[in-house]
Amino acid sequence: MIEIRNLTKKYGQFMALDDVSFDVKKGEILGFLGPNGAGKSTTMNILTGYIPCTSGTVKVGGYEIMEEPAKVKRQIGYLPELPPLYMDMTVDEYLKFMFEMKKVPLARRKAQMDDILYLVKIGDIKKRLIKNLSKGYKQRVGFAQALVGNPPVLVLDEPTVGLDPGQIVEIRKLISSLRHDHTIILSTHILSEVSAVCSSVVMINHGRIAASGSVSDFTASEGSVNKFLISVVGNKNTIQKVISDVNGVRNVTFLRVDKDASIFSVESGKGVDIRRPLFNELARASLPIIELKPEGRSLEEIFIDIVNNDKNGESSRYAADAKEGRK
Amino acid sequence: MITVYKREMNAYFYSPVAYSIIAVFMVLVGLFFWVYNLLYASTDFSRALSMTSTYLTFIMPILTMKLLSDERRNGTEVLLRTSPVPMWKVVLGKYFASLTLYAIMLALTAIYPILMTFMTDDGVPTAKTFGGYVAFFLLGATYLAISLFASSFTESQVVAAISGIVVLLVLYYMQSIGASIGGKFGAVLQWLSPLRRYSDFSLGGFNFASLFFYVSFSAMMVFFTILNVERRRWQ
Repeated sequence: MIEIRNLTKKYGQFMALDDVSFDVKKGEILGFLGPNGAGKSTTMNILTGYIPCTSGTVKVGGYEIMEEPAKVKRQIGYLPELPPLYMDMTVDEYLKFMFEMKKVPLARRKAQMDDILYLVKIGDIKKRLIKNLSKGYKQRVGFAQALVGNPPVLVLDEPTVGLDPGQIVEIRKLISSLRHDHTIILSTHILSEVSAVCSSVVMINHGRIAASGSVSDFTASEGSVNKFLISVVGNKNTIQKVISDVNGVRNVTFLRVDKDASIFSVESGKGVDIRRPLFNELARASLPIIELKPEGRSLEEIFIDIVNNDKNGESSRYAADAKEGRK
Repeated sequence: MITVYKREMNAYFYSPVAYSIIAVFMVLVGLFFWVYNLLYASTDFSRALSMTSTYLTFIMPILTMKLLSDERRNGTEVLLRTSPVPMWKVVLGKYFASLTLYAIMLALTAIYPILMTFMTDDGVPTAKTFGGYVAFFLLGATYLAISLFASSFTESQVVAAISGIVVLLVLYYMQSIGASIGGKFGAVLQWLSPLRRYSDFSLGGFNFASLFFYVSFSAMMVFFTILNVERRRWQ
């Protein structure tokens, strides 16, 4: 649905995007991750035709943004970081304006308007001036705007920033409910949001793609081992001995004591499930298991790793500036 | 284009801007009507209009100041640029909205010449009055285009208004500036002055070349505005 190839954007000497390529398949929700200033918004602005790129191509539904901008723009609903609202309009005036701007056929407007008001839950405030709405409602009206014309692609730039936890959950539900007939790019730096709604992830840092793949690829434990965290009540050394004797266990490391339980990290070979023998052996030794959980890497850890590993990138990115001075 | 036009018309009348501008304008016209028509006992309304035209220098930039700058400040520019409507249509819609508001203001002043037809036996000089209106409208349309161009450079309404006023003031004195410089360059400056052609209509005549001057001057300014809006996207 979306094909981004070798996208580069320079602001003067500053490389905002450096050779970014990725695809988004139809029906996918792509989490677009990166620290502040990584180039997320720049990518989205190019994708939606707001700003041109320095080089590279962006194709949406087979059309190239620079060659056939009107065709591309019609397929995209865009919610920028700051919802683009006319404060002097009421909600329904604003949405009607958007229906006209997006050239939605007259016959379809009424039904679509009702659908959107229902989906985004702003039906009861449609007669109010946008100026007087709370931040949460403004965000929803911005969201509603992106849905006008029922575009197959939605580009959402940090849609939950500044909302309260209840509203965040609602917006996430809304995004999930749209997944059936939309392709969605969701930029965020809230990582739990990605695990909550996205099917795949692109991480960007310093204008380059740092990592990409499906969410499960990212969070699966690394390398050829399975890791578990286990808390057991009893004598530390006895527990350690019992666990190490379990068939399939490769390594046991004592971590810490929590109240009367000791916590260990247990490693086993991939494809070997040691949970049942572990339980049986510890039960036989009358050592009760309080907690047992797989220890995958969280998206946060991966994210921080990637950001830290890429520190060298920063120096090269500014190298040109130091010589020539920033424009 | 019509969508943007409708929005801008609504925006004018939702805010106090349109009403206060119309009020100020009507007070000015009324004042000059009182001085030139009532006190001097003249039926020539074009004199009052021509006196008012000086103040268009200040009024027109206020009409256009928010048209483009506000879109940038509020972030709604993204909406326009990412919609399938090309920017030239957006700019034209905005220009025509300001032009319509101006035409409404002007139409309201017609009450004075109409009143005068009842007050005199000789009647009102039709050609002169009509010509006065044509001249006034053309000058205003040109001023609007110039101040719209000024508002395309900034995201601040105040800066937009002030730069518009400054440019219009320079144009206002263009004829005297040109005359004092003299020579070929002075002649070019004088030729560029929109005021110089004002009397081509306001004295009751009709000059096709002058009509062409005003219309093409406005069109050029609107065109420059579109170019400027497009140019900024590439920065």
